[in-house]
Amino acid sequence: MDKKDVLENLATAVIEGNKDMARENAQNALTAGIDPLEAVDQGLSKGMGVVGAQFESGDSFLPELLMAADTFSAAMEIIEPTIEARKQQVRKEGTVLLATVKGDLHNIGKNIVGTVMETSGFEVVDIGIDQSTLSIIEAADKNKVEIIALSSLMSTTMPNQKELIEVLKEMGIRDRYFVLVGGGPVSQKWADDIGADGYGDTAIDAVNISRSLLNARSDP
Amino acid sequence: MPSLLDYLERAVTGPILTQKDFHMKVLIPNIRKIVKEFDIKYDPKDPVPSDDALADRLYEASIEFLSMTGLYCADTNRIIQFDRKEIEKGLEDYREAGTFGEGRDRSVLRPRKPGDKNPPFCHIGTGTVATSEEIAMAQVEGYASIPQANSISIPALSSVRGIPVVGGSPLELYAVFNSIEAARKALWRAGRPGLPILNLCSAATTATGTIAGCYPTVGLRPSDGWLIDFIAEMTVDFNNLNKLTFVTYIGANVGSTDLVILGGYAGGAPGTALVMTTYHIAGCVLMKGAYHLTGPIDMNLGCSSTRAGTWVLSVVGRATSQNTRYCAIALPYAVGGPCTKMYFYEAAVSQLAAVTSGYAGIQVSHPAKAVINDGVTPTECLFNVGAVYGIAQSGMTADRASELCNRLLEKYEEDIKNPPPGTEGKTYPELYDLKTHKRSEEYDRLYDDILEELTRMGLPFK
Repeated sequence: MDKKDVLENLATAVIEGNKDMARENAQNALTAGIDPLEAVDQGLSKGMGVVGAQFESGDSFLPELLMAADTFSAAMEIIEPTIEARKQQVRKEGTVLLATVKGDLHNIGKNIVGTVMETSGFEVVDIGIDQSTLSIIEAADKNKVEIIALSSLMSTTMPNQKELIEVLKEMGIRDRYFVLVGGGPVSQKWADDIGADGYGDTAIDAVNISRSLLNARSDP
Repeated sequence: MPSLLDYLERAVTGPILTQKDFHMKVLIPNIRKIVKEFDIKYDPKDPVPSDDALADRLYEASIEFLSMTGLYCADTNRIIQFDRKEIEKGLEDYREAGTFGEGRDRSVLRPRKPGDKNPPFCHIGTGTVATSEEIAMAQVEGYASIPQANSISIPALSSVRGIPVVGGSPLELYAVFNSIEAARKALWRAGRPGLPILNLCSAATTATGTIAGCYPTVGLRPSDGWLIDFIAEMTVDFNNLNKLTFVTYIGANVGSTDLVILGGYAGGAPGTALVMTTYHIAGCVLMKGAYHLTGPIDMNLGCSSTRAGTWVLSVVGRATSQNTRYCAIALPYAVGGPCTKMYFYEAAVSQLAAVTSGYAGIQVSHPAKAVINDGVTPTECLFNVGAVYGIAQSGMTADRASELCNRLLEKYEEDIKNPPPGTEGKTYPELYDLKTHKRSEEYDRLYDDILEELTRMGLPFK
């Protein structure tokens, strides 16, 4: 099977959420001597890109996105050992910590952002729901993240997004992290008022804003 | 028939699996299977379907889905399973709620069916819209001044004595106490002290807040109603089960509640309709509710007034009203805010769908996705009531409603995706005099214009 077919099959497997096809072609890629990073980048990630775009435009929904992500992971289980053995690394766009703030038990929005960011090349650390400000900061430090993304789905828990930014300032480490905010009642105005670095209406917004912030930081 | 305690036992003894496995191996595959098996299909050209066969299939599909899937308890990672016979018996044995409220303001929530000329029960207000302390009483007094109001949804206070309310903290309790106290005062001032409050308690995000708010001197009554949520999707948790247990124990009215995410775990319109109908059934069988508050919400757009959202609202209303006696109150969300024409187009669409699909009750369409502080006024409530009375009493059919909805959707559905600046509208203080609580001339003019426009289009209005 030639390289082009294998890469196309990997993408198709992700788009269709077909784990068997993904595993089979992941193995084919290794057998054919295809660079595993290329298999990820030009096969799996391309498929994820298609699904992500369909999700963003409303042509497909969360189940398709999750199944695509699951299929991506299934293929990576086969490919990753070879990447590690070659001491290569899948290029990561950046590292993001995701949390729903204290008092808030909603997680679907956060989970969607996590899935989309992970499959867009970010390393995602998701510490879950109902997280206090200090536990978020502690986890951000422990995992050496670049971005803290906070979800709040109730107006009564939004103040905790503001609190985190203020506490980062009090600790003298505000510049260490980009802080993104999101969730149903959150708006660009709220983000601007509290000094957040970005606000995303959708999961793809979170990816794009994160990329812009990280690129701006690395550009001289 | 299993009692609540029996179901709670299942929450701690049922089959165990991770939430991810529940989503990927149970929920999503079951939704896909059932939607296909029962041929639940979405037709975008017909946002208010009159297809009784589709509605009946959806109802049967939901019973099958609940018996296959159960409800996932997020705190124990176990599935609360339902036997098909238990579901059917629970629906069969269901005793209707009867009355809410006290004295002259007592109201009966009666089942309706598509084509019913009786106006639906009008649940006035938009409790999830946060409100400042100064405005809350004025809003409730405005709502209660609407003669057709059968119940009230009281605002959730965003601050207490200027301190922002933080959910789960003691400030939440202050918000609960103050919001109820303010609401009672406002109802008394409006001359409607017995009007039931049915959204208890929107200021309480936790069970602690709910239970604290039930202390007798706080002002709640057994004739009011308490909202208990299902979580996206097909999930419950101890926070809500704690509220359910307490409210059931004190013999108060349980309002089972869902807001199914269109585009979320349930997928597109057919899966969303399936899950929404299933919640109606679970609300009856598990929660043994007095009423069910329900609606879809688009995952990206934050509203129910899309073409797909309207279809979901309609087909679920038809399925549940024709097959159960458990009364549902339709819960719509709009993108447009107060003093925008878009809001009224969206509200008209949602209420055309709700009334002609047989909902027992309606709630006011929430303006600006319910995210703007002080972002609702009595004018939106007045409109929703006038529309539903007009639609019901005219005997409008679903087919006619679908035609009108198509024309209204053309006016705003592109703007929903990319709202122009100003779509969120204005706030109460910007539209009403804070001393006299009279509406501004700007809003007077817009309201007159929109009523004329919609009436010319064929919307009956009372």
